Amino acid sequence: MDTELFAHLNPSAEAALNGPLAGKTLVVWPSISVRGWPAEAGSTALKGFAALEDATVVERLKKAGAVLAGSSQMSELGFGLAGDTAALILERGSVDAALVADALGEARAAAARVRRFGFKPTHGTISRCGLIGLIPSMECVGILADSPAAISRILAGMAGLDERDPSMLERPKPDFPRISEARGAVGVIQESEERLSPEASAGFKQALSKLESRGFRIVRTGLADFDLFSTVHNVVGSVEASSSCGKYDGVRYGHRAAGAKNWNEMYLRTRAESFGLPVKSYLFQGAYFQFENYGAFENACRIRRRLVEGIEGIFKTVDMLAFPTLSGEFRADEARSIEAVYDAFSLTLPASVTGHPALQIPGLAVESKQDFGLQLVGPYGSDAGLLDLADRMLADL
Amino acid sequence: MDFEAVIGLEIHVQLSCATKLFCDCPNSPGDAPNINTCPICLWLPGAIPRLSEEAVEKAAMVCLALNCRIQNESAFDQKVYYYPDLPKGYQLSQHHRPLGKNGWLEAAGADGNSRRLRIHHVHMEEDVAKLVHEIEGRTPISLVDFNRAGTPLVEIVTEPDMRSSQDAMGFLRALRAQIRYTGSSDCSMEQGSMRVDANISIREKGSDQLNTKVEVKNMNSIRNVCDAIDYEIHRQIACVQSGEPVVLHTRLWDPDKHVTTAMRGKFAGPCIPDPAVPHILITETRLQRLKEKLPEMPDQKARRFVRDYALPQETAALMSAERDLSEYFEAVVRLGPSSKTAAYWISAHLLPALKDHGQSPADARVTPERLAGLLVMLENDEINAGSAKSVLSQMFENDRTPERIVEQSGFRQVSDADALQDIVLSVIEKNPSAVENYRNGKTQAVGFLMGQVMRATQGKANPKRVQEILQKALAAS
Repeated sequence: MDTELFAHLNPSAEAALNGPLAGKTLVVWPSISVRGWPAEAGSTALKGFAALEDATVVERLKKAGAVLAGSSQMSELGFGLAGDTAALILERGSVDAALVADALGEARAAAARVRRFGFKPTHGTISRCGLIGLIPSMECVGILADSPAAISRILAGMAGLDERDPSMLERPKPDFPRISEARGAVGVIQESEERLSPEASAGFKQALSKLESRGFRIVRTGLADFDLFSTVHNVVGSVEASSSCGKYDGVRYGHRAAGAKNWNEMYLRTRAESFGLPVKSYLFQGAYFQFENYGAFENACRIRRRLVEGIEGIFKTVDMLAFPTLSGEFRADEARSIEAVYDAFSLTLPASVTGHPALQIPGLAVESKQDFGLQLVGPYGSDAGLLDLADRMLADL
Repeated sequence: MDFEAVIGLEIHVQLSCATKLFCDCPNSPGDAPNINTCPICLWLPGAIPRLSEEAVEKAAMVCLALNCRIQNESAFDQKVYYYPDLPKGYQLSQHHRPLGKNGWLEAAGADGNSRRLRIHHVHMEEDVAKLVHEIEGRTPISLVDFNRAGTPLVEIVTEPDMRSSQDAMGFLRALRAQIRYTGSSDCSMEQGSMRVDANISIREKGSDQLNTKVEVKNMNSIRNVCDAIDYEIHRQIACVQSGEPVVLHTRLWDPDKHVTTAMRGKFAGPCIPDPAVPHILITETRLQRLKEKLPEMPDQKARRFVRDYALPQETAALMSAERDLSEYFEAVVRLGPSSKTAAYWISAHLLPALKDHGQSPADARVTPERLAGLLVMLENDEINAGSAKSVLSQMFENDRTPERIVEQSGFRQVSDADALQDIVLSVIEKNPSAVENYRNGKTQAVGFLMGQVMRATQGKANPKRVQEILQKALAAS
């Protein structure tokens, strides 16, 4: 096992004999609480913090017989993929699956990086209880694995209402796995193609022609506001992040600056020392919208509703939407500014803004030996159908 | 120049729920520090707030009792500010979409007349932790107690409809009675379950302008609110008359020195819709169910008391003003005494005695059963009013039944005509000069003779009977 890629190794990783996930091993980001394990979420602000309880997803996976091998390294508070090792641990075959929080598309992009499947469920179908998050209205636990079927089994183990997370959708647990005969229309938003590098564009076209060869119909469609997805995510996300991180004051846990003369100074110096540059500038930006430009935040919320309506409108005419997962070379591991992070996730964040389920599929959008990943986005609640469809489609190819 | 004050109130009321607003911790801030805490109310990473249904219901009862329109959809916002009593950096409060809007209360003003005062809105929010500053010793320290963090509150914001401290006092009394009736809170300013901030400005009488207001906090009784408002009005008038501007800020009332002192500039942080707490939806069906749960309110009850118990309007209002008193009154009446006697004895004798003993109708040592027993004896002429008063005061000292106290103290009234006849005749015989005076038309001599008879019976004679016998005996002699 590649212990150097792990942040924490489970000292008692014994396989359970029973349960639908018996014998399956997983690695999780240390922002997903496992009782007694360090849960520092990649941030000095949480240095030394150990989770008091299992996250609901962890509790359910344990019950289903899965084994947690340990936790990986991750970006600070899950903002982007700088420093992530979960995907690498999966790539080396040390585990069967990885759980990665997906706020801008981290789970999908990390999977694309290592040519695996990555899935972000419909927002609200998986409990966020125990997820040390940043952007509550957009993030959820994402799954990386070798096949849609493997993702589906893990999803089935985690999904369903949780009384500890009342923000979940009041929707009955989807029937896993659901058989879908759909082989219909795949929508492509033209504005999304304009952002692609020539290689990514060629790779995407390869993927679309493979879909067509399997009997799917490609429908070109447009969404004039597509460019606003990034802006809306950026404004709303930074405001929510600023609130979410208000609790990191170094009093009960985490790093605390030494030698402050009073509590104001302690807070200021502690927070200044606790966050890395991308997160710090993101929080600062969020505070700007909160305190100085609330109108812009309100506009972003309004535009967000419009974008959701726009996508919902498109789903009236197509069964799913296709995007490349990456718009160019994978660079999310190096992104160290807000701009660079948003650039790296420009094609995954629309599904985060709207909350639709999205699956990253490797091996289809390939050009010059680079795999840009094909992303299929389905209507709300179509999670099981989407995974099932991908499974059967790949069996055909 | 003649000035008038413009006063609006912001009232925080602690809901008497079993749990906190967003977790299952006991809503009991007074317990040993930091006992009632969990990852949610400590806001540890990964915890998600879970809105209490009981709190929503109790807050809705407050809205109904204050004649507010309950909104179909209301939501929580994050009121952002950084202070050690709020370690997550924001308070969950309903800023943009409150639970109830456009309420009103009838309240007695300075002139004694009742006036309708408007309520802008009622919203729910969580309380923050309590800071205890230890300033003595070499290093001053501040301690944080999280028992109060996350306890459920409603904030009632009035329109600036009040013009005097009397108006404010009348409003607060009416508000307290209404809310106590619902059982949503005990509204005790002394215990901190009701906290009042007053926004005060002054203007030329007759003007409809709203001038810069000053917020006054830290009053711990309705009386204090009244005094603080009066002080602040005078301070502002003095300010304006000496040519100084009134500046927007917050002042603290000092109950010992009877002055307000400047605390800080008024700070209004941003309020961001909270993405985690689900919106509160009150459908028409749910609203109907809530309305059915609302108990009979003071106005309705007073009307029923006039109708069913034939009480005069004023007495009915008094007996129904507080829920526990009204329940006490009805319990007494159910046990036999007439409503008139019960109402009179409760208001004239029981309430002052309860006040002296620091008791309330709900926890009175003189239970409705004991008072009813006493009043039944009084109405049956078994004891007279003087004895009844003395039995009542004894009932505050021990738990014996009124019947037993009457027996032990020998208070049973002498109504036996023969026995009284003998006493009357002997009093007449011993007081010839009084009898003489009576014959000469000095009717007050009867009073003197009555007194002599009562004295001879140690106050136990039935005064009505004595009067009859005495009149007859005087006429015959």
